Amino acid sequence: MIENFLAGTATLFGDPFTIGIFVFGVLGGMLFGAIPGVSMLTLAAILLPFTADLSPAQGVMLFAVIYCTGTYGGAITAILFNIPGAPENAPTAFDGYPMTQKGMAGKAVGAAVLCSAIGGVASALVMMSATEPLAQWAIMNIGPPEIFALVFFGLAVASSVGGRTIWKGWLSVLLGLLIATIGQDPVGGINRFNFGYSDLAAGIAFVPAILGFFAVSEIFIQAEKNVSGKYSAPKFNVDFPSFFELWAHKIAVVRSIFVGFFCGILPGIGATLAAFMGYGEAVRWSKNKSEFGTGKLEGVISSETANNAATGAAMIPLLALGLPGGALTAMMVAVFQMHDLEPGPLVFYNSPELIWIVFAAMFYANLSILFVGLIETKTILYLLKIPFQFLAPMILMLASIGAYISRGLVLDVIVMFIAGIIGFLLRRSGYSIPGIVLGLILGKIGEQNFAQGMQMVHYDLGTYFSRPICTILIVAGVLTLLKSLHSAFFQKPKVT
Amino acid sequence: MGKLSRSDILEAFFWLLIAVIFFAVSFSFNQPIEIYKFGATGWPRVILFLMALVALGNFYHAYSKGSKAQEGRVGAKENDEPIEYTSTSQYFKTGMVLILPLLYALSLKPVGFYSGTPIFIALIMIAWGERRFRFILTNTILIYAILIGLFMLVLNAPLPQGNMSPFYDISAFMLKTKTQLDQMF
Repeated sequence: MIENFLAGTATLFGDPFTIGIFVFGVLGGMLFGAIPGVSMLTLAAILLPFTADLSPAQGVMLFAVIYCTGTYGGAITAILFNIPGAPENAPTAFDGYPMTQKGMAGKAVGAAVLCSAIGGVASALVMMSATEPLAQWAIMNIGPPEIFALVFFGLAVASSVGGRTIWKGWLSVLLGLLIATIGQDPVGGINRFNFGYSDLAAGIAFVPAILGFFAVSEIFIQAEKNVSGKYSAPKFNVDFPSFFELWAHKIAVVRSIFVGFFCGILPGIGATLAAFMGYGEAVRWSKNKSEFGTGKLEGVISSETANNAATGAAMIPLLALGLPGGALTAMMVAVFQMHDLEPGPLVFYNSPELIWIVFAAMFYANLSILFVGLIETKTILYLLKIPFQFLAPMILMLASIGAYISRGLVLDVIVMFIAGIIGFLLRRSGYSIPGIVLGLILGKIGEQNFAQGMQMVHYDLGTYFSRPICTILIVAGVLTLLKSLHSAFFQKPKVT
Repeated sequence: MGKLSRSDILEAFFWLLIAVIFFAVSFSFNQPIEIYKFGATGWPRVILFLMALVALGNFYHAYSKGSKAQEGRVGAKENDEPIEYTSTSQYFKTGMVLILPLLYALSLKPVGFYSGTPIFIALIMIAWGERRFRFILTNTILIYAILIGLFMLVLNAPLPQGNMSPFYDISAFMLKTKTQLDQMF
């Protein structure tokens, strides 16, 4: 493994053009992740056609680097503006933004930098040493029933923590699941809920929906505060967390690495569920559960460690099975296909140099988060000094372009603004926007795997539950739901 | 009425209405799929049934316990104090902020990005309460220049050009100028 890693490093840093692509990926991912309104997905969508001119190794490496640094970059906007750069940064905003409101933005961003780097590097190391055996384990043990069970568990956790009440948390997730049914059904390809619009046959795209629910609705919330005279600019500071503050959360970091890696390795799930579950587990194990959501450093640490820990793991199903773990890894499949390659087990034998350049690049990209991220962060914190009258139209315009670019459809911009209005109204009423987005993202995966799983077991639930991983996840999900239902009926409302 | 507020009743009505409308529409694609017993409607109908059930639970919760946040809910604190509107002008201003972006999106197809964007930027600043003419003008130009510089010149991103004269001609002029700049450098 070490020889392969060194060979990958030598190839990566032996060619000035490849170094240039690596540096571009690192800075571009961080920058696009950290600009409110656009995300690493916007950058990837713009760059996709240009990868045809690169070698396959350079193209895939560029996207892998953007994936690592963009996942970190999205935390910046989540913390500073309550606008997650990507869905995997959504739980970061739960505590990161309240920390900004308390004048602790520097601490939150500093923790995000360090934990993203730790999670990413740990994940890259495990990815390098365990890709092949883990891929074999996944092939043997993870099928559609297990993926459905994991989706169910993830949604149960998300609905149980977000929203003002458990009912609102569930309604948020169910709305996301309903939106995900728009478009063709995953088994028969029958058009559902397209209301006569042919553009809706492909469904509601993630990027405009995410931008609408997070970025646009946040602008509307701030605008409402401005109109009523309650708007106050976020407080500015660059006071990074001390070593001891971070050391106190070492268990949360280790737990989130495991959670992130486990979620990331499962095909179709990606870093989003990892972040939610990392955060959910932090809440579950904490003695002071009520402090979460009010600006607790552990919330930021758990979410950011988990989502970056998932980046390396997400490459395993992509490279070993050809199954993407999320939107950006799906674009990597397109890069492979543009060069007449198919990601899958054969890549390990036909193009080992490609695999090891990508592995080495991801390792160094995660390391660079630590160094470049700290420098960049101090600069980005100055964004808080810019008046919101300037930032608001800028964010709305960037979001419009980001929504339009991925598919070239004006409908996506319209969908984004409608999602923004719905998000604004739902947020005012205490619903959970991350819950809606998670439902939207996991809905199709869940339905597809449920259908495949049911066909596999010939609609026999007994066979379904004879699979241990599947049973454990479903029972855990049901227990989570029952526990939250119990608290809904027997807990007193919060005194404010 | 228990602890119900008007918004609780509206919320329940909203969710039940969505469930009913989508359930009714689901009959339009209620076709059997040979290889899948539950068909195209099975999954969405389960979601709609659960939505209606949970909406009733939400209604009952509001009736018996009010709308206060439950203990341990993440991120619920910021929503605990909804903003109260004291005058119609506040409704109008918030309405403008909500509607303007949607109008901009609807205008993208006929007007295009290049012509519609500066007008939208200026209008959204006005809707935000900005009244200094020089601030609006300079910032509109600055934001527009950043967007054009980044997406049109550097990243060469395809943006909507519009299909109505004279907006289409303006877009064509911009793109022609960009091609000339590319040839020069």
